[in-house]
Amino acid sequence: MSRLGAARRSGIDGAECGPGSPLSGCTHVQLEATTGTRRLSGRDGVSRAAGIIGLSLLLLAGLPLEALAQDAARVQPYGDFPVIGARGVIWITAQVHLMFAAFVLGVPMFAVVVEAIGIFGGDRRYDKLAKEFTRLLLIAYSATAIWGAMLTFALSSLYPVFWAYLTQIFGPSMILYASLFIVESFTLYLYYYGWDRWSAGRAKYGHFGLGVLLNVWGTIVMFIANGWLTYMMSPPAEVTADTAPAQVQLWSAIFNATWMPINIHRLLANVVFGGAIVGMYAAYRFLAARNDEERAHYDWMGYIGNFIAIGALIVLPFAGYYLGREIYEFNQQMGITMMGGFMSWLWIIQAFLIGVLFLAGNYYLWTGMGRIPGAERFTPYIKYMLFVLVIGTIVWATPHTMIASRDEIAAMGGTHHPFLGVLGVMSAKNTAVNLMILTTFLSFMLYRRANKIPVVDWAKSGTIAQGAALAVAAAVVLFYGVYGYFVTAIVRIGFSVYQVLAVLAAMVFVVVLDILMLRGAKSRGEIRWGQMPARSQYALFILAVTFTWLMGLMGFARSGIRQHWHVYEVIRDTSSQAATPALGPAATMISVCVLIFLSLVALIFWLGGLAEKPAHKDRDDLVTAVPAPVTAGGEA
Amino acid sequence: MWRTNLTVGLLVIGTLAVYTAVANLIPQVESAVPEEIVLGADARPDELVAAGEQVFGGAGGCTACHGLGTRAPDLLSVAGSVCTERSPDLSCKEYLHQSLVDPNAYVVEGFQPIMPDMSRTLSSDEIWSLVAFLEAQGGEVTVTGADLESDDTAPAGGAGGAVSTAAAPAGAGAAVGATDPASLMQSLGCVACHAAEAGAAGVGPAVPTMADLERDYIRRSILEPAADTAAGFEAFAGTMPATFGEQLTAAQLEALVDYLSGGD
Repeated sequence: MSRLGAARRSGIDGAECGPGSPLSGCTHVQLEATTGTRRLSGRDGVSRAAGIIGLSLLLLAGLPLEALAQDAARVQPYGDFPVIGARGVIWITAQVHLMFAAFVLGVPMFAVVVEAIGIFGGDRRYDKLAKEFTRLLLIAYSATAIWGAMLTFALSSLYPVFWAYLTQIFGPSMILYASLFIVESFTLYLYYYGWDRWSAGRAKYGHFGLGVLLNVWGTIVMFIANGWLTYMMSPPAEVTADTAPAQVQLWSAIFNATWMPINIHRLLANVVFGGAIVGMYAAYRFLAARNDEERAHYDWMGYIGNFIAIGALIVLPFAGYYLGREIYEFNQQMGITMMGGFMSWLWIIQAFLIGVLFLAGNYYLWTGMGRIPGAERFTPYIKYMLFVLVIGTIVWATPHTMIASRDEIAAMGGTHHPFLGVLGVMSAKNTAVNLMILTTFLSFMLYRRANKIPVVDWAKSGTIAQGAALAVAAAVVLFYGVYGYFVTAIVRIGFSVYQVLAVLAAMVFVVVLDILMLRGAKSRGEIRWGQMPARSQYALFILAVTFTWLMGLMGFARSGIRQHWHVYEVIRDTSSQAATPALGPAATMISVCVLIFLSLVALIFWLGGLAEKPAHKDRDDLVTAVPAPVTAGGEA
Repeated sequence: MWRTNLTVGLLVIGTLAVYTAVANLIPQVESAVPEEIVLGADARPDELVAAGEQVFGGAGGCTACHGLGTRAPDLLSVAGSVCTERSPDLSCKEYLHQSLVDPNAYVVEGFQPIMPDMSRTLSSDEIWSLVAFLEAQGGEVTVTGADLESDDTAPAGGAGGAVSTAAAPAGAGAAVGATDPASLMQSLGCVACHAAEAGAAGVGPAVPTMADLERDYIRRSILEPAADTAAGFEAFAGTMPATFGEQLTAAQLEALVDYLSGGD
């Protein structure tokens, strides 16, 4: 080694530091100092965790500073944990914490929007619905805090040196984070417990303001935490391996290349997630309902959850493109590792999952049309929409640039499949996903229109204009999809922007026109809430499980592209678990995390039900007095 | 009710099982931690080329772009023969080295400037072995062990000014190549025990109190901390690690000794 032992060549040798040396407990304050680093047994790891708690107590008891400093100086870079290892502990605690965090950030957005509809639309049913969502948040907040504390303990005991590095850079923001979490929790308590007290007049607006404030705090908290994790992914260019943490400027570290893209992506994903979990809750209550009124109420609630989830899902891929683009801008190699390197198969799994989401979401809508008078006129179109979704999923999930073995390449007859390889390129995939988005949007519009008869004079031409807008968007998407095969890669990448803009423009145009066209519309008959087959509710469960699993998968993708780096190209992971696992083991871990999370969510739902039971005799307050709206769009 | 619970439970577990099974059925590719390439002045050309091939297909991540024919030039079989045609002032070795540590200095026509600076992720030895491997692709290997031993900033015997950045092993907490004593004190963690101000509490003597010590004593204390214990710090004997001899270059060690002894 050229640098190894340079000091030794000066004629002075250093003593070895290792398990067999008299200095086996010597200080390792660097992550890179692997020589002689002692791996601790699981028992040691537990002892250390206990030691850290003990040290904290001793600090409070006034132990002399020198003694504490001596203990601190003996900190090893990495700890260990029985059976699942240190990485397993961090993975599970971080993932479950993030899932709860997404829940407690997504549901308030949901609740405050529903409350606003209740206030400004003058419909108290929405107000009750919003309160029911918020009730679920109280316990979820505790769960979020508990898992967050567990994650902090795990990081500080299993990755103490790296944790110290992060705290040196982000210390002030961590204090702000903790403070805001307290403020946020207090706002939530005020929001929930003040619901009935501040239910009318100006007080109600104040209460709504609390809901907005709750979302503001939550968003800031999320943005702060995103700064830490995105720093690990895309540290500022001026930060190198030689940069001491004290020299890294806090704002520069937070405002890194992927911070804002992650903020936007997570904000939208939280809405999707919140909607999906609410939908799952409603589906369970629907299946367990004891009378038609309950069934109608939870059917409506499930519809709203699905509407929000799928509505936000439609725009999520655009945020994903933005994030992906910024990753490439930050570091081409990282982007290529993500899309064409060892993670290339991950995107095939992702495509499969999103295909499931689109299919399940649309299936729920199509099934729901059975309870809407007048919707039967759209039934013939469902098979075509299903065809587009299935073909789109297949194209999206077609592998292309894969790491293949020599045998696999020989079996395929080349690095790409001779026929299917053509469908695996971005031109085909972008076209497929944009058409799937347009199709899902069309499903929503048909659902919304199902039992309404427009009364405006220009209804017919308006409908034709809407159809034309969708057709033009589809044509633009197809044109650039095909044209992409005839231009260079760098030109082709730019085409995706035109495709996205065409789809977004069409959706905005159609929605605006629809709102104007359906003003004062007549009803073809009341929507029959509650008359849904049980299988439709299972679609909501599949949606929630798939969203949750997808969140875990994307978390693995985001942190996995750092590979063996704690901070990309700055702090190397020198632990025994530095290798990034293959998709199979990662999927097993994700499933474990999802199972833990959903089990706890089930417990929360059960606890929420317990709180409801004492007032069971007065249940009309909750259900009977809150009949679902009569039209497909949700309006009364 | 139990039937609903059972159905829901089975549905959830079944869905998770399907996803897990699908992910386990596809080809499994783990991102292994690259092995560190360790070469010396006596490294033979064939060893350099073999090590370079290992970096090319592993730690360097080169195959993600080079070889597909779309993102970056295909290097296999041709890099050693075309390298002299790119920049007339540079030898093949110098050009290839420059391409790795200052990739935007020359971008091949028809390609985007997407190549990262490899000195951020690879050590000097790894970069030189990569140069040797690329030279071997249709050309003659001129990289020698002397290049590895030479100044980190330039190819041995070449136009040093042509290469702009130092090649430092990534993630080296000891600030490889850097000789700024304040940074070294930070990155090595010295400041955790040795206070910057005289009289401040610490596990070891404060930095200002070392100014009166002999340079040889300071040097020995860094390399062999167990050899002597400063008066008043007997309780902390054995705390200081004995690994700095392996982590510091000679220049860094001397810079620290200079700094601690008061700069004489």
